[in-house]
Amino acid sequence: MAEITLRNLTKRWGDVVGVDDQSLHIRDREFLVLLGPSGCGKTTTMRMIAGLEEPTAGEIWIGDRMVNHDLPKDRDVAMVFQNYGLYPHMSIFENIAYPLRVRQVPADQIRPRVEDAARKVELTDLLDRRPRALSGGQRQRVALARAIVRTPKVFLMDEPLSNLDAKLRVTMRAELKHLSRELATTTVYVTHDQIEAMTLADRVAVMRDGIIQQLGTPDEIYNDPANLFVAGFIGSPAMNLVAGSIHGGEFVADGGTRLTQVAVNDRDAVILGVRADDIRISEPGEGRIDVPIYAFENTGDSTLLTAQWDSQRIIARGDRHLRKDQNDVVSITLNPEHLYFFDPRSGSRLRG
Amino acid sequence: MSAGRKSRIGSLVRIVLILFAAFVMLVPIAWIFLAAFKTHVDVYQLKLFFTPTLGNFGTVFEAPFFLGVKLLNSTVVALVTVLLAIPVATMAAYSFSRFRLRGETAMLVAILATQFVPAVVIVLPFFVMFRDLGFLDTRVGLVLVNLAIVMPFAIWMIKGFIDGIPMDTEEAAMVDGSSRLQVIRNIVLPMAAPGILTAGIFCFIIAWNEFLFALILTNKHAVTLPIGLALFKAEEGDLWNLLSAAGIIIMVPMFILALVIRKYFVQGMTMGAVR
Amino acid sequence: MRDNVLKYVLVAPAVLVVLVTAIWPLAESARLSFTVGRLNRPDSLKQYLGWDNYVWALLEEPAFWNSVWVTGIYTLLTVGLTTFLALGLAILLAPGGRLRSGVQTLLILPFAMSPALIGVSFRFMFNPEFGLFDAFFGALIPPLAQVSWLADPILAFAVCVMADVWGWIPFLTLVLIGGLVSVPRETLEAAEVDGAGPWRVFRDVTLPQLAPVLAVAVILKSIFSLKTFDQIFMLTNGGPGTATQTLSHYIYFNGMKYGQVGFAASVAWLMVIPMVFLTYAYARLVFRKDRDP
Repeated sequence: MAEITLRNLTKRWGDVVGVDDQSLHIRDREFLVLLGPSGCGKTTTMRMIAGLEEPTAGEIWIGDRMVNHDLPKDRDVAMVFQNYGLYPHMSIFENIAYPLRVRQVPADQIRPRVEDAARKVELTDLLDRRPRALSGGQRQRVALARAIVRTPKVFLMDEPLSNLDAKLRVTMRAELKHLSRELATTTVYVTHDQIEAMTLADRVAVMRDGIIQQLGTPDEIYNDPANLFVAGFIGSPAMNLVAGSIHGGEFVADGGTRLTQVAVNDRDAVILGVRADDIRISEPGEGRIDVPIYAFENTGDSTLLTAQWDSQRIIARGDRHLRKDQNDVVSITLNPEHLYFFDPRSGSRLRG
Repeated sequence: MSAGRKSRIGSLVRIVLILFAAFVMLVPIAWIFLAAFKTHVDVYQLKLFFTPTLGNFGTVFEAPFFLGVKLLNSTVVALVTVLLAIPVATMAAYSFSRFRLRGETAMLVAILATQFVPAVVIVLPFFVMFRDLGFLDTRVGLVLVNLAIVMPFAIWMIKGFIDGIPMDTEEAAMVDGSSRLQVIRNIVLPMAAPGILTAGIFCFIIAWNEFLFALILTNKHAVTLPIGLALFKAEEGDLWNLLSAAGIIIMVPMFILALVIRKYFVQGMTMGAVR
Repeated sequence: MRDNVLKYVLVAPAVLVVLVTAIWPLAESARLSFTVGRLNRPDSLKQYLGWDNYVWALLEEPAFWNSVWVTGIYTLLTVGLTTFLALGLAILLAPGGRLRSGVQTLLILPFAMSPALIGVSFRFMFNPEFGLFDAFFGALIPPLAQVSWLADPILAFAVCVMADVWGWIPFLTLVLIGGLVSVPRETLEAAEVDGAGPWRVFRDVTLPQLAPVLAVAVILKSIFSLKTFDQIFMLTNGGPGTATQTLSHYIYFNGMKYGQVGFAASVAWLMVIPMVFLTYAYARLVFRKDRDP
């Protein structure tokens, strides 16, 4: 049983604000991902939960205990670090055993527990080696094993996959997901990689400038972004954002192009958001507007087509068999059911 | 073709220059080595070929020179200095490396600056004090003063090594359940051990070669090797063969130690300004 | 123990040692510099005369100004020559390879030698009857064949400079090699592709990037040159006359041989002045590293 509650948590270094008066409730057994660009305060938030950073103000609760003044060792959390933080002078076995030894677990329990943890992350054959002799993926597993060897209240993971190459990252991500379901322990996971966030999380907290922008399931933050920042940050390619206005049920992009029919009240200044997948590409004259191609990219499993008119660009995803060339003209149609509108000044979402 | 020849001549010139520089660097050392194996007749001639003798190395340990006593003094003083300085420096270096302290920069600059103060300034008050306390010509006194020159190097050097230990590793240990002191004992000390040893050797060399303090603060019982060199004067002038043998006893152990830590010598001397 | 207590507990012993072994003697020297300060009269160590010692040194003592002059010229020459030669050697050795790294290893040796021993060794090398360098220079420049180097004021000074340069070239060379190899290859290659010859590459790309390291080397060498004592003591003991009497040697002589500790302390403190500037410059260089990682 361990929920984590952050109340009005703030971290400042002089004038620099790391985390700005944030409150967050993480449910028992929940896998929560803190997602955001570098410097958004996600790592600082996690480090304050771990006790590695002292909050300037606010409270941190783990279970029914306020832990603000507890040392990291007394918080009963386990953490996986970005650079793994392995002990280079110890064997893999001793690395994994260290949390047990330092907590004075009886010696006869240590070996079975280390071996059990090693088995879960498939390290059994490497226990005699030193970290130096291991590959990046294997070191990652050691860090994981060291975290799961005891049963902490909370797992904290700070960009654990970011030092792996792209291919390995996909494999480890799946293993991590499998492991987290099996262990069913409250987990806070920090990343700047939205795919990791989408695939692993029960809920995602998107952060920027020390403030949580949106807290929701992966589904919610992808399909129902709360504001311009979340809309632009989540999704690859990023959501198209077109500045314009709404007149007579029609969105008019700056420059005068009548882009699409909409079901929103008239407004002078508005930003339209539309995902690449929600734009249909067709032959000239068959769709809503005809535009020349600025760039055409084939990614193998699909194609990306950047269209340009006036000073605006919009990116659309096409079928993987589509073949076009620069300066060809295509027709595009926006799916009216998946359009988002934002206030250009505040960035907040406009609904209805 | 001509460009190729030009560059070949260029690289030949460079190799000749390098060999010449190496030669100039080695000659005074080599000359001492030769002289140490010469008889007192041969040493007063410019001879490259002679019948070598080991006799000088025996003579220097006999009356009236008793180099053995100086050797013991140098070893004890340098060793005790290092054994005192290194633990104290390691503690401070860890704190400077990992924490923000009030007046940290001021302290570090002050420590750096003491290294740059002329040794004569430091030694005058010590002479007066030691005379009053009866510490003159004792190894204890010499150790105390040697700490002044060794500490700054030790602190800065070990700090450099601890800076190189990733923070992650320490934080992992803390989350794993270690107190700060356990982190230092179980994680930092083992990881910094090679660096601490290097700093120890570096400080040993400095203390061993120290001259001015020993010159002023000792005269008979606590005399160290570099001061002992002054003994080899007779009425007819310097006893070069004995002087050279003593020189070898002073420098060869340091050569070996310096070669062991050669990668860190520059970093040590510049207090981390150059790595 | 909480970290914010522990961190001060950890530095306390070191601070104490530095206070006792460096700060206290500095302060005590300053106090002594205002006293009559005769070694043979303990009460004179508490007889204050105000600035008299300083005034005496600055206005009434030609020997003081002589040693200022000797130290100044000595520092200029040794710093200039050592830096110049070390830079040349560093450029020769920086490319690496078996021969070059072998010579780099050899460079450690003079560096591990006690400066006192370097002094002895050069006295030996310039012995008029059987000194190797004496014979070498005599053969090279016939007028020098008959002179006794260490008996001639100018030549004795030259020998001191030579011994110093010989002893310090290795250190500066190693420092500068460190600087040279850290100049990124790409910038050198970019300059070559852009059409610069070797000299232009060196002047426009290498030298500016080497500047901080060069500054470290020059400042450090200046400090050590100003402090020079061991070598000179063993080589010439300040002589002939006072031709090679550096400030450190002058202070030693007045303090220990003549027993005028008060006067010696005042000269020592005059010597601290240039050190403060050099240390300030050096500290700036060291901490610049910490500021922009």
